[in-house]
Amino acid sequence: MTQMNMVQAINDALRVAMRRDDRVVILGEDVGRVGGVFRVTSGLCDEFGEDRVIDTPLTENGIVGASVGMALQGLLPVAEIQFADFVYPAYDQIVNELAKYRYRSGGDHSAKVVIRMPVGGGIRGGHYHSQHPESLFVHVPGLKVVCPATPYDAKGLLLASLDDPDPIIFLEPKRVYRAAKGEVPEGEYTVPLESARVAREGRDVTVIAWGAMLYEALDAAQKASDQGVECEVIDLRTLWPLDIRMLSESVRKTGRLVVVHEAPRTGGFAGEIITLICEKAFYHLEAAPVRVTGFDTPFPYTLEAEYLPLAHRILPAVLEVASA
Amino acid sequence: MSKFEFRLPDIGEGVTEGEIVGWLVKPGDRVVENQDMVEVMTDKATVTIGAPKSGRVAELKGGVGDTIPVGEVMIVLELGVPEEPLDAPAPTPAPVKAPTAAPAAAPKAPSLDEGPVASACGDIKTSLPGVELANRGAPSGDASEERPLAAPATRRLARELGVDLRSVPASGKGGRLTREDVEAAHARRSEAPAAAPATAAPAAAQKPLVLARGADEERVAIRGLRKRISENMARSKRTAAHFTYVDECDVTALKAFRERLAPHAEQRGQKLTYLPFIVKAVVRALKRNPKLNSLVDDAANEIVLKKTHDLGIAVSTEAGLIVPVLRDADKKSVLEVAADVQRLGEAARSGKIAPEDLGGSSFTITSLGKLGGLFATPVINYPEVAILGVHEIKRKPVVRGDEIVIGEVMLLSLSFDHRIIDGDVGAAFAKDIIAALEEPDLLVLDS
Amino acid sequence: MMAPGPRSSLPPAFSADVVRVMRDDGTLDPLHDPGLADVELVTLYRHMAQTRLLDERLFALQRQGRIGFHVGSLGEESAIIGSAYAMREQDWLFPCYREFGAALLRGLPFQRFIDNVFGNATDMVKGRQMPHHYTYRRGGFASVSSPVGTQITHAVGFAWAAKIRKQDQAALVYFGDGATSSSDFHSGVNMAGVFKAPVVFLCRNNGWAISVPSERQTASRTYAEKAHAYGIPGVRVDGNDILAVVGVTRRAVARASQGLGPTLIEAVTYRMGGHTTSDDPNRYRGSAEMEPWRELDPLARLRELLLERSLWDDVREQELVAAFETQFRDAVTQAEATPPPGLETMFEDIYERAPWHLVEQRAQLLAGPRAPSGH
Repeated sequence: MTQMNMVQAINDALRVAMRRDDRVVILGEDVGRVGGVFRVTSGLCDEFGEDRVIDTPLTENGIVGASVGMALQGLLPVAEIQFADFVYPAYDQIVNELAKYRYRSGGDHSAKVVIRMPVGGGIRGGHYHSQHPESLFVHVPGLKVVCPATPYDAKGLLLASLDDPDPIIFLEPKRVYRAAKGEVPEGEYTVPLESARVAREGRDVTVIAWGAMLYEALDAAQKASDQGVECEVIDLRTLWPLDIRMLSESVRKTGRLVVVHEAPRTGGFAGEIITLICEKAFYHLEAAPVRVTGFDTPFPYTLEAEYLPLAHRILPAVLEVASA
Repeated sequence: MSKFEFRLPDIGEGVTEGEIVGWLVKPGDRVVENQDMVEVMTDKATVTIGAPKSGRVAELKGGVGDTIPVGEVMIVLELGVPEEPLDAPAPTPAPVKAPTAAPAAAPKAPSLDEGPVASACGDIKTSLPGVELANRGAPSGDASEERPLAAPATRRLARELGVDLRSVPASGKGGRLTREDVEAAHARRSEAPAAAPATAAPAAAQKPLVLARGADEERVAIRGLRKRISENMARSKRTAAHFTYVDECDVTALKAFRERLAPHAEQRGQKLTYLPFIVKAVVRALKRNPKLNSLVDDAANEIVLKKTHDLGIAVSTEAGLIVPVLRDADKKSVLEVAADVQRLGEAARSGKIAPEDLGGSSFTITSLGKLGGLFATPVINYPEVAILGVHEIKRKPVVRGDEIVIGEVMLLSLSFDHRIIDGDVGAAFAKDIIAALEEPDLLVLDS
Repeated sequence: MMAPGPRSSLPPAFSADVVRVMRDDGTLDPLHDPGLADVELVTLYRHMAQTRLLDERLFALQRQGRIGFHVGSLGEESAIIGSAYAMREQDWLFPCYREFGAALLRGLPFQRFIDNVFGNATDMVKGRQMPHHYTYRRGGFASVSSPVGTQITHAVGFAWAAKIRKQDQAALVYFGDGATSSSDFHSGVNMAGVFKAPVVFLCRNNGWAISVPSERQTASRTYAEKAHAYGIPGVRVDGNDILAVVGVTRRAVARASQGLGPTLIEAVTYRMGGHTTSDDPNRYRGSAEMEPWRELDPLARLRELLLERSLWDDVREQELVAAFETQFRDAVTQAEATPPPGLETMFEDIYERAPWHLVEQRAQLLAGPRAPSGH
């Protein structure tokens, strides 16, 4: 076991994967010599060479489109989109091509690609370096969407993502890239996809969060506990397909639900989670579920702490749901 | 031989009809599969349609210039027609063709509503089920009665325990019913409140008991009036917290009083029973105890104190129990009350009760008469809060002063909704009725 | 049999830089002649004729309401068949959506293709797409998607991967003149140039992107000259001259194989039909501009050559057509007798294994009411 932050854990996962499987290549903007703008791929180009850690021209659709072709040829590409905010030119390639390749060819072909992208705010990045667009990917049949919150999960989930046969959107919460630290085993291990994690046990309110907001949820849960309300905080880890069983079991126990996410509220993933809970556990609900999310505004620069659903906004929501 | 009907297909341009430009075959012709049969103009595009099967043309539907809707039969082919004699020359396959000649028409700018509606692909229909419906106004929904506020989990608990949420007082935030409210209501309703755990016997309370059918029995459907009685009685017992108060009443004086007045009433053509006096005694007591002249609005969680004195008078009929309403009993004389009671009773028994004579009462009297036994536990006419049961007048020993004498004694059984009426309030009300019936002069004084 | 008439004039698109092998006087340009054997020429003619016949029959089936859609390649047969023929067995083809002739050339079974246009249970893509969205992995043939240009970056990635893995494999990617306006064209050609990916970009310049003519796609004089901006060779070829197409494509494959990188080929041709069966080209173009192209019919030009070399005659032509008719009729009969794909197939292949939500939704569909027919 070694203490690592999330950047180191992801870097380690990539290194492990590239050492064990020469089909794995990394491509993206600035991923090679400089090791990525967040240094996630640092040192990999030196070890594996420019043919496997590839600095591409500035073209997100090109990166994803080429990854699809590489996968058809037999490589296992890990594409990096420098910021999730820049992914939109590649959205057609992701939605119509990558996610549909197996389905539209009746299973004749399949294109296995992992697309990594840093997501989320709280780094003074403004609108173009802070978005957290998970719902755009969750909505697309054919994609799996992963978002780790801890270094341990980041490495284990990334290795599991590479093992999985389907295209993966791997969202990295950059706010906690270096703040989240923990024990990370050396070498190979996986954290299974489609399994959430109880980050804190409680009997009164279920709080669902992922990525950087997990820590805000835990902070709020601690403060709620001081006031006699015990939260069960669940770290989703894989956003889609959802670990619906764990979520509904928790809500069956608590009868109360708060969902936290950074993305704007309307059409956000919390709406889908709450709908699923209503379908699976409606008559266990003691109170109306509540969303604590970003506002339906573009992501602001100066006022980002007001925009984000930090603990100071989660706590009153938890207390209100608990007493409803 | 079989017939094949060729229908004009929607050729993928969202067309709904086509005009026949020219027939390339005539009845009796033999056609081979894919042989051109007809030219059809759909909107502004003219297309040539070939035969989907080989056969002989039996019938052509429509002439040049006719418009055929998509889906209509254009051509009837006879299939399985015997081959031509063998000595006929075999048809020579046409060589692979060069691209077909371009039409003579010069391109012309289409207007918005003409020409094919698609270029790349598209079965763009001009009519679809439901589209018409969308243009109709939304139906004006009846304003539904407001539902009690409760969390889903509380609603499920109430259903399992058979508790009607509309009858449960709410203690939660913003008038919400809590789990505890439902459990308390369930406990009140059951016979042994303290012993009943909240989660005990949930489904059994709701599920009807199934009785095995036997040969030596007759089954009568519960419907109509019987069904309404059944529902009302059950709802009352399920909702109101019944407590019954029984007392006796020496009506010796009332008997004499009635006997004095009866001839006067007869002169005016009115039979005089005890009931009008009881009604007046009840009205007097209601005025002194206004809480009894009320309804419970469980949905709003409110007590509705009535300013009117409309009394329900239970009447047993062949079909079952009916409660016609004696309106404004406080404003009517004994004689008028007597007339009304008689009219309502007759109407109810003959099945001719008018709708305006039913409903809206705030207190009910049920006269059990000779069949009344010693006492009873009347079921409140919910959402009223009390009901008076009147029993047969019997001659009984009564103590008057220090003597035992024979008195005319009547028992009264009063049921109250204990949620609203406390024991002492109910008892005071009963005592007021008894006082007026024992000293009927009071009725004169107070009316 | 169509007699070769005197050629009036070449279409304006034919400038001096267009590579042609079959000269107007009937001779061949030895510089660009790929030197195909007689049997190869006959094979190419058979494939082109099959493509033309299929176009004609499928168009008729669509008009009879038996299939929902057809997108043809009338007049572009040699650009498609010739380039596909030039590729080696190990190479891959990334189609646009007009290349069923190439798919059949690469071995897609005839019956599977007909099943595809009917979208039945034996359609390789399980009735999930419109007709002409076929696939054939065994023949190195990628899956067709409708959005224009998206396959270009796939071909680049494929070729690039082969280069990384040091495998001698090239990718041929088809697209029309309209696709050169897409961002995937720019991204793909640019990346291929940077990484010297072994790709052959085959732009079928057929004059039209649905109703928009070439001059509305670009202000460039030619499509081939766009290559220079990306630092790769661009070449224009007479797309209706099968020998020129084979020759130019073979040279591009050879370059790719030698590690010299991609080539952009502009096959100058003309879309003689509508964009698809849903389109009515009479609304936006006149017959006058088609006249010179009719004289350049690629099928007729190859047939002239075969006749001249006594490799073909009327009897063989009739046999070819008759054999085709039988094969086509049998395939259609079988396709029409094949049921539609089972309901459960809707939930297959989205993920390798269906997650819980698709298992639930599949159960809901199977237990629920069936859609009314005709919708």
